[in-house]
Formats: sequence, structure tokens, C-alpha cells
Amino acid sequence: MVSAGQMVNRLTPVLRRLKFLPLVGFVALAGCASNAPQDTWAPEGPNAQMIDDLQKPIFAVAGIVGLIVFGAIAFAMYKFRDRGQPIPEQTHGKPVLEITLTIIPALILTVIGVFTVRTVFDLAKTSDTEMVINVTGQQWWWEYDYPVQEELGITKPIITSGQLVFPVGTKVMLRQTSRDVIHSYWIPKLNGKRDAVPGRVHLNRLEADQPGIYAGQCTEFCGLSHANMRMEAVALSKEDFAKWVDQQLADYQAPAEGTLAKEGETVFLNQCVRCHQVNGLKRADGTPAIAAPDENVVSGAAPNLSKLMTRNTFAGAMFDLVTPECRADVWDASRETFGEKYLAGVSEECLNQTDLRSWLRNAPEMKPMYANPALLTSTGGKYRGMPYLALSENDIEKLVAYLLTLK
Amino acid sequence: MFTTSSKFYVALTVLAAVSFGVYMILIGPSSIGATALFGMIAVGILFIWLSLHTRDADTDDEFASGAAADAPSRSMWPLVGAAGALLTLIGTLTTPLFFILGLIVVVATFVEWGIQAWADRASSDPAYNAAVRAKILHPIEFPVIAAIGLGVIIISFAEIMLAVERSAGAVLFIIVSSWVLAAGVVVAIKPNMRRGIITVIVVVGSLAIVAGGLLGNASGMREELVKAAEEDHFMHRECGPEKDKYTDKLALESVSSRSAVVATVEFIDGKLVAREQGVPGERETITIPRSNPSSIIFRNKTEGEFRLLAVTGKTMVSEGVYEVDEHCTQLIPAGAEQLLTLTMAKPTLEGGEFYLEVPGVEGQRVELVVP
Repeated sequence: MVSAGQMVNRLTPVLRRLKFLPLVGFVALAGCASNAPQDTWAPEGPNAQMIDDLQKPIFAVAGIVGLIVFGAIAFAMYKFRDRGQPIPEQTHGKPVLEITLTIIPALILTVIGVFTVRTVFDLAKTSDTEMVINVTGQQWWWEYDYPVQEELGITKPIITSGQLVFPVGTKVMLRQTSRDVIHSYWIPKLNGKRDAVPGRVHLNRLEADQPGIYAGQCTEFCGLSHANMRMEAVALSKEDFAKWVDQQLADYQAPAEGTLAKEGETVFLNQCVRCHQVNGLKRADGTPAIAAPDENVVSGAAPNLSKLMTRNTFAGAMFDLVTPECRADVWDASRETFGEKYLAGVSEECLNQTDLRSWLRNAPEMKPMYANPALLTSTGGKYRGMPYLALSENDIEKLVAYLLTLK
Repeated sequence: MFTTSSKFYVALTVLAAVSFGVYMILIGPSSIGATALFGMIAVGILFIWLSLHTRDADTDDEFASGAAADAPSRSMWPLVGAAGALLTLIGTLTTPLFFILGLIVVVATFVEWGIQAWADRASSDPAYNAAVRAKILHPIEFPVIAAIGLGVIIISFAEIMLAVERSAGAVLFIIVSSWVLAAGVVVAIKPNMRRGIITVIVVVGSLAIVAGGLLGNASGMREELVKAAEEDHFMHRECGPEKDKYTDKLALESVSSRSAVVATVEFIDGKLVAREQGVPGERETITIPRSNPSSIIFRNKTEGEFRLLAVTGKTMVSEGVYEVDEHCTQLIPAGAEQLLTLTMAKPTLEGGEFYLEVPGVEGQRVELVVP
């Protein structure tokens, strides 16, 4: 009969050897997360599907090879372990074995190479493009501009940021570049990643099978707020996309005289228009208010805030423009109702007043952006990101009222 | 424990550390002064260690090697160091290049002479001392000497290529590279060739290139390069009558420039055809991202010389007076091409004068849009 103490003594060395098991189990369980919006193994578009079709067999082959190699090592380690036996005769060279072990990996790599090259070329195809969107990265947000494309109803250029909106079942070509440092655009469920490099235009295909919001993340380290440089690709049905285009092309509606929003427009003209453009906004003398971010920001641009309230995010998609409840309502909507809910934009009830007001109060406190003027000697006084503007609570109240009208 | 010189370096390092602290508090970390003081601390610590380790090279010291009583070997480094110091001094009066070169020589002297002096005291056996020195210095000396030698060869070859005519340069390049290849083949086929023969081949070849470089430098650059430099064609962007004659109108040979342009604009038999990268078909508008240098290839496929002109709005030069912003390529002959890079900071919100055209050709405009 083994006593409990003896049992513990016997098990202790075994348990010591297995101390890393919980960590392995934790990592394995992490792979089972149901809420994983950036899951590379769950493609939802033909381009991501192509990559998935390639990567799964490769992983399988690599896994088998890995098992064989580690199995052989383990066998050799066990079979030929030191038991005090004399060292066997040492030999050098086994041409047949060496050639075999060279040819087999070469053949495996050749097969993988053929399929990889074919996929790379398929992903680089441009001849079947149905829609073009220019994507420009800068520290730390993405700008999207839609060139004139009459066949899609885009009769004037559209510009937006944070959320890339496009129609489902349409082969979209992203023409990517950057205004400052190298960034990388990646919506894992729709395609692989592609760098955005200053002075160059890189092409990246995107297509979604179903309406919905697809999350992404800048994947090239680009400075202090790299981790906060997010993006969301919003796929709408073709009918809903046409409505979105109409929304974006609608003329600017100035707030009514005597309202808080009108006072907010004045604050915007005095403070925000130095960097932020609102298309159609005019100064008191009737001239167009043209923003000059090139004079104030290192990258030379700040988000165009025209139709701000048709987006769900702000500050490089770091914060939601809508409350968590309203966000969940859109994200969790059925495919049939998603478009309608997204196009409803941000209502006063749904506006995430807390984050928006905090942002206007002191943006650098919300998102690290090298905005301390004392540290800006190397940039000639230009900011990276939005600076602290010392706005009064009264001005913030007016600005929020004004921004709510930008639909 | 502490030697005389180590005490001095300890004091110097402590002083530097205190100065560093005061500097950080009073002036801040972003200035170069903090870096310099930090460097001084690091160097001070190094010298403390050196002086302690070598016991100030004191042969009577009880810790020093008994074998280190012999006179040190002869050294050229004092002379080189003096020349370096002189060069540094001349540099302060003339050009920073001399100053930097002098500084490099002085630093090299400190390293070489210091390690040689230390190695001379390693033992009483000069061969062993030389081996100690070689073990430390050869991993530094060989790559540096090789890099300098390679640099001299490259510069000499560049001087030759700049001096001879363009077609002669191509022929020369083929001949030299063929000789290099032939020499490589010979060495590969006969790996047991006598070392002296290989040395002769390398030395004679290198000397020939260096001599050619000196001759090339003496005779100066070929005429068209001299004229092009005088024209300063990188600065000239005049959109009026062509002033440049020797400028490179085929300035688009790099793959990186070709592969990622915003658009290609071709002038085909009198018609302007624009294509945006990644967009199928011809375009009537080209979209340029705001505040981002964007390159356009202009390719002339019409008989005669033409240039691409970009009109990018207007700038107020004085109250109420505006000047049209124009950028253009040089006159490009048929079959040639050139890159035009535009940076447009403001959006073209109100439409108007933002376009590309070929001067003198009516009705052929491509609109530029900055969203």
C-alpha cells in the first residue's frame, strides 16, 4: 500500500516536468476564441481565401515534416543515449542518404513554390479591377479617397478616414502610399498585408463576400502610436453602397443661424480648420475654408471631417464615435439589416460623447502622439497627431454640437 | 590599487558625470551637449580600466609583468599621430573634411599605439607579443584596409568612367569586367597556383585602375557632364524655352522609380493618354494624394521634342497678385521618357486650374485632382 506522502513524492518530479503544460494549454485555448475579428484563419473574401487555401496545406506539410524530424531526433536521443557504451566507429559521408535528404526537401519546396508563385500572381492581378480606392497612411491614421468612377456613381472625389467603405462582391483595388514613414495595411479576413511606402504606390486587392465590418491593424511599426493605428473595412451591399456614395456627395449643410451648432462652426473655423478640412465649409466672407495641415502637421495632412458622423470611429479608428450599445447594434446586425444600421450614422443618442469630449479636451492624453511642443525641435514645430488645443468647456460644447451636424 | 593616471581619469569621469547631471537638469536631454558629456564619461571609464589593467605601464610595479622590462619596439604611430593632429588643426582653419580625416587618424593612432605598447609588455618574447597584438588588431585592421582599398579602386574606376566618352566607357567596362572574370576563372581552375602570381595579378590590376583614375581625374570630366553640371539641371524646371542642352532626358532608368508611380502619361501621335497605376483603361483625371510627393512618368511617342507641363493652382506673391504654379519635364525627344514629381499640399476643392498638358497642343488636358 502506497501512502499519500509516498504518492506525492513520486508525483512531484513528474509534475515539475509538466510545469509548462498550463502555459501550452492556455496558448491552445487562445486559438479557440470565438470573438476574434482579426483571425487570419477565417477568410471572408476571395483574396483571403486564396491565401488560406495555400497556407493550410503548407502548414499541414510543415507539420508532418516537423513531426518526422522531431520524432527522428527523439528516437536518436533515446536509442543512442549514453549508457557508458564505447563510442562507435566514426564515419563520414553517406552519399545516397545525403542526396535523398536534399532531393526530398527540394521537391517539397518546389511544389510549395509553384503554388505560392501562382497565388502571388493571382493576388497581384489588376486587369479585373472593378473599383479603385486610394489609401494613404500617416502617423497614425488611414485616409481613403475615392477617385471619380462614374459607373459606381462617384461623380466627384470622396474622401474619408478610419473606415474604408466598399461594396460586397466587387473587386476593389487599393492604391496604397504613405505620407511619412512606412505603414502596412492589413485586413486579415480580406487579404494579406501590403506596405504603404512614401513616394510609391503599392497595389492591394480587397473583396468581401458578405456585408459587415472587418477589423484591421497597421502591421509595420510606425512610431509611438503604431498599436493605435487601426482600420475597419465596411462592406455594404451594392444598393447600400450607392446610398453611402449619395451621402458622401451631398452638399455641405451649414447649421442654422442662432444655434449652438452654428457657434460650433465658428469655433471650428477659428481652431480646427488649420488642419481639418470640411468640404463646402465657407468663411464669413464667403471664401472656401481650406485647411493647411501641411503647415502644422509633419505628415502634411489631418483627417478630412466632411460627413464625420457617417463613420463609426475617430482618431485613427482608435475610439468609437458611437456608444458601446450602438456599436454592438451595428456590429452584431444581421446581414440584411447591417447596411441600414450603418448608414443611419451617428445620432445624438448614439454619440460617444465621453471619448469625443475627452479627445477635444486633450487629445495627446488619449493617444500618444509626440504632441509636446518642447520635444518638437526636430520637426520645425510641426505636430505628429493632434495637439492639446486648450479649448474651453464652452467651446467643446459648441464643437460637439457642430460635429453632430456633419452628416 | 589606484595608479597615478587612473586617479586622474577617475576625477575626470566624476567631473563629467556631475556635469552631465547638472546639464540634464538645467538644459535637458535633447541637446548634443548631454551626448558629448555622456561620451566623456564612457571614454573616462575606458581609460580608467586601461590604466588599471596596464598599471600605467610601470615596469617596476609589483603587479606588472616581470617580462616587460625590455624597450618597446619601434613604432611609426607617434609620427602618424602628429600628422593627424596637424591635419585636424589645418581642418579647423580650412575645411571640415580635413578636420574629420585628422580626427580619424588621431583616433586610429591612439588605438594602434596604445594596443602595441600594451602588447610589447605582454612578455619578453617579441614573437608572442606580436601575436598578441595581431590577435586584437587584425580583426579591425584587415576589414578597414580592405574597405579603404576597395574604396580607392571604386573611386578610381568612377574617375575613369567620368572622363572617357560614354561609348568608350561601355567598352572599357566590358574589357575590365572580362579581365576580372578571366582572372577569377584562372584562380578557380588552378587553385594551387603560386601565391606570388595571384599577388602580381591583383597588384598590377589594382595599380592599373588607380593609375587610370589619376589620369582621368587629371584630364577632368567629359565635356557634356561639365556642361550639365553648369546647367544645374536638377534645379532648373523652367517651363519656357529650353535652356538645358546636356541634361539627361532619359532620366528614368531606375526600377524603383518605374515600378510605383501614380500614373503614366503618354503623348501618342499628338494625343495625351493618361493611365493610373492599378486602374484599367485610360483616365481623364489623375488623383494625387495631398502633401505627398507623387511621381508621374511622361513618355513622348510623337515625332519631335515635347514636354509635360503640370499646372498646380496659383500662389499669391503679393496682395492680390497671383502667380500660376507650373512644373514641367525637359523637352523629351520621341521615344524617351522622364519622371515628373509633384507635391500638392492643398485640396483642389473648387475645381479650376489643376491639369497636365503638353504646351502647344490644344484640347489635350488631363485634370489633376487632390481630394
